[in-house]
Amino acid sequence: MNTVIKAENLYKVYNETKIPVKALNGVNIEINEGEFTAIVGPSGCGKTTLLNIIGGLDHPTEGKVVVANEDIAKMKDGELIDFRLNNIGFVFQAYNLIPVLTTLENVEFIMLLQKQDKVLREKRSMELLEEMGIADKADKRPSELSGGQQQRVAVARALASKPKFILADEPTANLDSKSTENLLDMMAKLNEEENATFVFSTHDQRVIDKAKRIITLEDGVVISDETK
Amino acid sequence: MILKIAWRNVWRSKGRSFVVMGSIVVGIWALLVGSGFMNGFMVGYMNEAINYDISNIQVHHPEFKTDYDINLTIPNGVIKADDLRNWNGVDGVTTRTIVNGMIASPKKASGVQIRGIDKMNEAKVTMLDSLIVEGAYFEGIKRNPIIIGAKLAETLNVKVRSKVVLTFNDKNSNITAGAFRVVGIVKSSSLKINELYAYVLKNDVDKLLGIGDEVHEIALLTAEGVIETDIVAKYNKKYTGDLIQDWKLIAPEMAFMQEMYGSMLYVLMFIILTALIFGIVNTMLMAVLERFKELGMLMAVGMNRLRVFAMILIETLSLAIIASPVGLIISYLTISYYRSVGVDLTNYSDALESFGYASILYPFVAQETYMIVTIGVIFTAFIGAMYPAWKAVKLNPVEALHKI
Repeated sequence: MNTVIKAENLYKVYNETKIPVKALNGVNIEINEGEFTAIVGPSGCGKTTLLNIIGGLDHPTEGKVVVANEDIAKMKDGELIDFRLNNIGFVFQAYNLIPVLTTLENVEFIMLLQKQDKVLREKRSMELLEEMGIADKADKRPSELSGGQQQRVAVARALASKPKFILADEPTANLDSKSTENLLDMMAKLNEEENATFVFSTHDQRVIDKAKRIITLEDGVVISDETK
Repeated sequence: MILKIAWRNVWRSKGRSFVVMGSIVVGIWALLVGSGFMNGFMVGYMNEAINYDISNIQVHHPEFKTDYDINLTIPNGVIKADDLRNWNGVDGVTTRTIVNGMIASPKKASGVQIRGIDKMNEAKVTMLDSLIVEGAYFEGIKRNPIIIGAKLAETLNVKVRSKVVLTFNDKNSNITAGAFRVVGIVKSSSLKINELYAYVLKNDVDKLLGIGDEVHEIALLTAEGVIETDIVAKYNKKYTGDLIQDWKLIAPEMAFMQEMYGSMLYVLMFIILTALIFGIVNTMLMAVLERFKELGMLMAVGMNRLRVFAMILIETLSLAIIASPVGLIISYLTISYYRSVGVDLTNYSDALESFGYASILYPFVAQETYMIVTIGVIFTAFIGAMYPAWKAVKLNPVEALHKI
């Protein structure tokens, strides 16, 4: 199996000059293509920090993060933006769709930034919306959708550009049980059928139950790594 | 799609967008109407002076204006004037005899400049006949008719048909005098016409001066759009030894005024547009700070800083592009209306006339001013958008995404 993410000796210290807080304290993980991984642990254990660093949103204080044979820890901010655009899909806790665009336009957005052809963009976006069961909402604005529907649009957007992996930070935190169930089923299906790689940070037991691999963090250190 | 997002963002907070657009509309309106009124004052003042007094170009003996010596006439003045009448770009030519002297009524006396004029040609060049408020333009009195200004008539306490005596030095420096009868009274915003000039027929004054058919001044009215300096250059090429001057040299204070009013537009523009910049910065900064999380998400998913910057810039420019035509149309309508009916300032006519201004103001804005103001406003919006756009691109996506 191909390794998609390889993090070696990751350290992250906040407030280095005042009162240092160690968020990551020597994390080593490898995520392979097609995995459905949940990063779990108590609040403040470093889940979000780890996700931000492997997602190229933040720099580690020390260590290496290799994605697609490139050490993204060494990249500059401008390079990281381009790298994220072409390699990583994001699903946020608060959905974070663009409120002034329709569902279809939101899904198309990343492909547009990648300068993909309009016809291809629309085709791929509609396919994803159909897979997510919300094709009938293509011309609706996010404010006209339920939380669960908005999160499905966010997943479709994350998948649209066929990224190397998708990072989902607490994706079910704002959803009710039914929406959570539906969303997890959809993502599991995409993982099975399209071999999409998902990495979650979560507290949610339902997500943990669905995950095929569970990495547990505590005080910035990996304390267990189980594959079901 | 960046354009689409920017455009839709403009209408996301309609109230705020309307406030910015409103301030742009008011800014443009204030700028153009203010400039129109300033131009109205200036053009009115200059038109009065050029049309009724100095005309576009004057020719004299080079030394004549130093002390108004009546023997310093233009050689072959009448022939030169006849020649000038046939020149392209010259709409009217008149000849004048000018002598300083005294005017006296039975009650009072006053110093005047006696202007001996050719009544037909003078009317073509200075439209003096249109300023008559009492009596007629050299009609009804055959012997020695005289036209004086309303203020001078008041000073002398004379009316139409009253008798006045003009006293001045003749060709041989002997004091000579002639009795004249007031045939008309003129009124103008020009201080000189109202108080200092006394118009008589050239033949009448020439006889008293004993200078024959000599000419002290040739005045030219040029056609619309003709550059006066071209006529001056042509004259100098053909005739040497005379002093020919356009209105800018005859009345340098008017040229200075024209220049000053021109710079006033830029001063006014600077003040209003600077105020507008602060309004735009404030509003757009609010728009950026309100959307911090959304902008963070855009950068997280791969929208680069240049695109974020462009998006904020387009949003601001869209506001300016929508508001500018509205401001221009409202300004155009306001100026057109007041240009046709005039702004009545007769309540202040005494004060205005003492400065040579007309009491009815006709605002006027040149076409290029509309263009300058539009470019100025768009440039202002561009400058105003810079700081909010910079603030947007400087945000840290991680911090922005976790902002509540």
